[in-house]
Amino acid sequence: MMRWAFAAGLAVAGLWSTGASAEWQCRAPREMLTLGNSLEIAKTAVAEERDLRIVALGSSSTQGYGASNPQFAYPAQLKMRLDKALPGIHVHVWNKGVGGQDAAEMVERMKTDVKPEHAHIVVWQVGTNSAIRRDPLAKFTEKLRTGIDIGHSLGANFIMMNLQYVPAVVALPDEEEYARAMADVAKEKGVGLFRRFEIMKSWYNDGMPYAQFVINDGLHLNDFGQKCIAKLLSQSILDTINPRQLTGAAKSAH
Amino acid sequence: MKAAEPVPPYLASGRDLRLDFFRGLALWFIYLDHVPENIVSWITVRNYGFSDATEIFVFISGYTAVIAYSRMMLKDGWPRAAIRVYRRVWQLYVAHILLFVAFTAQIAYVSIARDTPQLIEEMQLMGLGQNPYRAILEAALLKFRPVNLDVLPLYIVLLAAFPFALPGLLRWPWAVLLGSFGLYVASNHFDWNLPGYPDDKVWFFNPIAWQVIFYCGAVLAVIAPRLEVFDRRRWSTTAVAGLYLASAAFVAMSWHYNALERLIPDWVARQIYPIDKTNLDILRLLHFFALAWLTRLVVRRDAGFLKWRIFLPIRRCGEQSLQIFCVGTFLAVTAQIIVAHYEETILSQIFVSLAGLVVMSLIAFAAHRLKSPAPAKVRA
Repeated sequence: MMRWAFAAGLAVAGLWSTGASAEWQCRAPREMLTLGNSLEIAKTAVAEERDLRIVALGSSSTQGYGASNPQFAYPAQLKMRLDKALPGIHVHVWNKGVGGQDAAEMVERMKTDVKPEHAHIVVWQVGTNSAIRRDPLAKFTEKLRTGIDIGHSLGANFIMMNLQYVPAVVALPDEEEYARAMADVAKEKGVGLFRRFEIMKSWYNDGMPYAQFVINDGLHLNDFGQKCIAKLLSQSILDTINPRQLTGAAKSAH
Repeated sequence: MKAAEPVPPYLASGRDLRLDFFRGLALWFIYLDHVPENIVSWITVRNYGFSDATEIFVFISGYTAVIAYSRMMLKDGWPRAAIRVYRRVWQLYVAHILLFVAFTAQIAYVSIARDTPQLIEEMQLMGLGQNPYRAILEAALLKFRPVNLDVLPLYIVLLAAFPFALPGLLRWPWAVLLGSFGLYVASNHFDWNLPGYPDDKVWFFNPIAWQVIFYCGAVLAVIAPRLEVFDRRRWSTTAVAGLYLASAAFVAMSWHYNALERLIPDWVARQIYPIDKTNLDILRLLHFFALAWLTRLVVRRDAGFLKWRIFLPIRRCGEQSLQIFCVGTFLAVTAQIIVAHYEETILSQIFVSLAGLVVMSLIAFAAHRLKSPAPAKVRA
C-alpha cells in the first residue's frame, strides 16, 4: 500500500513537472517598451559626466520579496545590464524598495530617499498596493502628481512603473483603472511610463503560465519575473538615452 | 489505577519515528527548495498546494519541544526545565552565528577567488559592506539575516518564549491554543512584525504569526488522545481535508496551465490571493492541517516503512535536525554557485541536489555515531 502511494506520488510529480518545465523567453512587443519621455537629464549626465544615477523607488517588488536572492531583484539586474551596455559610464542604482508601501507612503520618503543620491532617473514602481487597498482613484492620482512634482524639483527624470500582472492584481475589479490612471498622469506630467502591467499581460496572453514569473503567493515576482522586468526596462532606457545602441540591442535581443 | 486511559504523546515512552522521518524530509525539502530553479525541487510539497516544508519543520519543532521538556518540568520543576530550554536556545544561537560567519566567508571566498566582488552585494550582504560593524551587531541581535538565514532566528524566538507557555500548555492546553490563535489573528490584522536591519526590513518569517503552527504542534502533543472528536467524524473530516487538498492542488496546477487558471472566477481569486508567506496566510495553515490529518491517517506510529533501511538517511537527518539544517543552508549556497557556474544545466541541478543530500546524510550518520554510546566490549 505504501509502495503504491510512493509510486503514485512520483508519477504525479513527473507529470506535473513535465507539463510545467517548458522554456519561456523574456520578451515584449517593441511598442510597449517606449517610455514616452526622452530622459534628457540622464542623457546629459551620460554624455557629459560619464555617470548615470538611478533611484529605484518602490514597494516589495522593488525590494525583491519573492526572489530567491536579492541579486535577482530588478534594480540589481538593471545595474548589471546597464554596466554591460554602457562601458566607461559609472552606473549606480539604489534600491529604495520598502515592502507594503502604497503611493502615499512613498511620497512621504520621496525627498529623503531621492535627494541624497542626486538621481538622474527615478524609477517609481507604484500602484499595486494602492489598488489592493482600494485607495480611491482620485486620491491615488493626486499622490502621483505630488510625488512627481517633488521628484522634478530635485532635478530627476521620472519613469513610473505600473502594476504587475499577477493573480492577486488581476482578480481586483478595477486594476485596469489604476493602470489607466497612471498612464493619464504620466501623459499629463510628461513623465516616462514603463508599462509593466501590459508587458506582463502579453506574457500571459502568449501562454506563459504564472508559475514562470510569479511566486506561489500569487503577488510577487520570482527570479525570472524580476530578471525579465530588468532586461526590458534596461532596453527601454537604453533605447531612449542612446539611439546608437538601439540597432545593436535590437539585433542581440531577439 | 485507572485502566485504558490513553497516554498523551508527551508521556508516552519510546521514540515516535514519524517525527524523525518527517522532520528529516522537511530538511531535505528545505535544502532542495533553497537551490533556485532546481528541477529536483519538483518532488517537494510546495508545488502541490499552498504550504511547504517550513510549516512541517516548525510544527514538529513545537511538538518535540513539549516531548523534550514537559517531563523534565514535571519531574525536576519549572526552573530546571526553563534552564534546559535556554541551553538549547543558546545552542541554536551559536549555530546561527556560526552559520552566518560560514555563509559570509563562503561568499567572500568565492568572490575573491573568482574576482567577482559584486557577489557580496548580491547575496544581501550589502549591509555588511556599507557598515560592517553595525551589520555584525545587527546580526548578533538577529535583525540582520542574509538570504535563507531566516528559519533559525524564527526557531530561536519561538523557543525562547516557550518556557513561559509550558506550564500553561500542560494545564490548560485549549487556552494556550486560543491565545496562540488570538495572537496570530492580531498580528495579521494589525501588521505586527519584529524589526529587521536595514530599518525597512522585517522578519521574512514573522514569529508573531508563525508561532501559531509551533503551538499547534505543542498543544497536539498534550491533547492528542482527546482528538477523538475528529476520529468519530473520521470520514467527514477526511472528506473535508481531501477536498481542500484537491482544491489547493487545482489552484497550484493553475499556475502552470493558463487554461485552468481561466476557470477560476475573479471573486474566488480575490478571496485566495495573495497567499502571504511572511504572515502565514490562513490558506497555508489550513493546507498544512489537511496534510497533517491525512498523514496521521495513513502513517500510523508503527508504520512499517518508517523502519525501511532506504529511509534511514532521512530519519538520521531528522534526529540531528539542528546540525543538518545548518549544513543544508550552507550547502544550498554552494549548490547555487555551482549551478550558476554550469549555466543552470539540468544535470548540474540534479548533481548538486543529490550531492547535497548525500553530504547532509553522511554528517547526520556521523553525528549519530558520535552521540550514541560506544558498543560495550565483550568481557571474558
